[in-house]
Amino acid sequence: MIDEAVLKQVMATVLGVPLAAITPESSQDTLKSWDSLKHMNLVLALEQTFGVEIPDEDAAEITSYALIKVVLDELTGP
Amino acid sequence: MNEHAVPGPARTPLSVLANPAASLAEVIAAVEATDATVPATSAHIGISAGATVDLLGLYLRRHALVVGVRIEVSQGNFDDPLGDADRFAAQGVDHLLLVPCLDTLAPAFEANAAVLSEAELNEHEAQLRGRWRLALEKAATFRAVFLCGLHRISTPVAGGDRLDQVIDRFNAALHEEAAAFANVRWIDMGGLVASVGRRAAFDLRFHLRNSAPYTPALLDEWARQITAVSRSFGARFHKALVLDCDNTLWGGVVGEDLASGVKLSPHDYPGNVFFRAQAEFQALQRQGVLLCLCSKNDPEEVDAMLAQHPHMLLREADIIVKQVNWSDKVGNLRRIAETLNIGLDSLVFLDDSAFECEAVRSQLPEVTVFQVPAKLPDYLGVIAAIKDLFLAGGALTDGAEKTAQYRQRAEAMAEQRTFERQEDYLASLGLKVTLVRDDAARTPRISELSQKSNQFNLTTLRYAPGEIEQLIADPDAAVYSLDVADKFGSAGLTGVVVVRFAGEVAMIESLFMSCRVLGRGAEFSIWPRIFADAAAHGCSRVQAAYRPTAKNAQAADFYDRLGLPLAEAADGARRYEARIAEVTPPQAPWIEVLCD
Repeated sequence: MIDEAVLKQVMATVLGVPLAAITPESSQDTLKSWDSLKHMNLVLALEQTFGVEIPDEDAAEITSYALIKVVLDELTGP
Repeated sequence: MNEHAVPGPARTPLSVLANPAASLAEVIAAVEATDATVPATSAHIGISAGATVDLLGLYLRRHALVVGVRIEVSQGNFDDPLGDADRFAAQGVDHLLLVPCLDTLAPAFEANAAVLSEAELNEHEAQLRGRWRLALEKAATFRAVFLCGLHRISTPVAGGDRLDQVIDRFNAALHEEAAAFANVRWIDMGGLVASVGRRAAFDLRFHLRNSAPYTPALLDEWARQITAVSRSFGARFHKALVLDCDNTLWGGVVGEDLASGVKLSPHDYPGNVFFRAQAEFQALQRQGVLLCLCSKNDPEEVDAMLAQHPHMLLREADIIVKQVNWSDKVGNLRRIAETLNIGLDSLVFLDDSAFECEAVRSQLPEVTVFQVPAKLPDYLGVIAAIKDLFLAGGALTDGAEKTAQYRQRAEAMAEQRTFERQEDYLASLGLKVTLVRDDAARTPRISELSQKSNQFNLTTLRYAPGEIEQLIADPDAAVYSLDVADKFGSAGLTGVVVVRFAGEVAMIESLFMSCRVLGRGAEFSIWPRIFADAAAHGCSRVQAAYRPTAKNAQAADFYDRLGLPLAEAADGARRYEARIAEVTPPQAPWIEVLCD
């Protein structure tokens, strides 16, 4: 399981919102600044921070906190 | 207290920015945190690209902050250099980055290049030239334009293929177009991709989905190179390299190992490392960098090395100032800056001692410090970084003669002591000032001098080459440049006056001179001609101003000394106005003024 505090920190930094704005319910629909440019940056930042490579088919799809967590847990899992 | 909690070195935002291993999220956070601490924005960069390069802006801000400069970045529209140039100009952008991309020539151009007919290629080349020439024309008034070469994203074919030839040809065409503009710098994208490594440079996921082909690693290095080529966006102009001697110019300690024992053989390790280092320093000197020594040694021993050691490449004549003594290096660096009459921020200091480097870093933060690495093979990489500081963006103009010029100045200072009266001395110099009006051929040097003159600069306006060209062409403006020569030699183009004529008023917009020619009257000798020109243009009054900066205090009372009456003084700024007929500039009878 990934460290969700770290996930929240990365998301807040890249999306340019306060840490408190990132919740398990956050998604591209709830956060205005989460546009396609920021999404690209977010994928790149998550890959660096968690030391994973997010597959192409997931990269475009993980547009919510919940989906990101699922994919990262899978990639970092045993 | 938890005894295991050893506080590590504080991770300041700035240390994060300087750390090449910092992650993207860390860099974003550190850039935002650091930006807020730098009060003034020094430059505004516009990026006009045929690809999505959003993060390039972040990394440009990063590398600017690392060298102490805050910049603003504006992103243009996708593949719209002409529209971007107009919009950026209106927004006050002063540095423009132009990024042509192969993919925008035609869909899948890289794949098609192999089968294009010669006629089709000619057509593409003509289009490319026409479009980017227009963009460069629109950008001619920007302080600097960085034109990025085309490069391939597809995997190269071993031994090269037609696409390589096409790219070379197109880049040669772009290069040719750029050569007509003095403010354009070329960024070699192929070299950039190679330095990052092809595999690490591209992200094909985002290339195909978002037209964003570049990885953060490539964007980061790209931004670093642009920062270097722009000389920190005009904020820094390094002039002198100050070298330690022991374990910097040669291996070992000459005071202990003696001249015969130091390591400097071109054929053996580690002597060959130091031999190469000296060859690099010598090449820098030939390209206009002033070399100085700052070493804790007996001066006789260092002099003997310079004069006699068979493998020394650097000789007495290559070194402009030596501070070889047992005093502290901070004081010695100050004396070097004073002797050369340049700011401490123009100095780059190289020493093998961590102690000395730290002392200089902490006490003279303006000086750029490099340490000779403990692992000697890494030394050449450090020297490459030093070369970058001096040479990125082109060799220094007039450079090769610069050491000789400063040396003339030092010799002239020595001669000064033997004269009883200042005027006798000046008369003996055989000073000649050549005043040239509106010579377009001098544009690059005039612009360069405006960028780097800090101390004797009355209004500190920086001019792009295009702005100088416009002023020269304008009948209601005049750009004077002056050369100063004496019996020791010519100092070259070392002063500029920009005048605008408006009705009966001649406004002296700018006056700046290289400090190495001040104090001999040249700055006073030029005014009769300038005032006569103004009168001939129908002007009866002259206006001038002094605007204070952190560095130009020495020029604060220049117009008072010229004899202009003060009209207004506020917050350090001074404004002058006079009837031209009533101004009598101080005479400098020892100077012969030649006008074109």
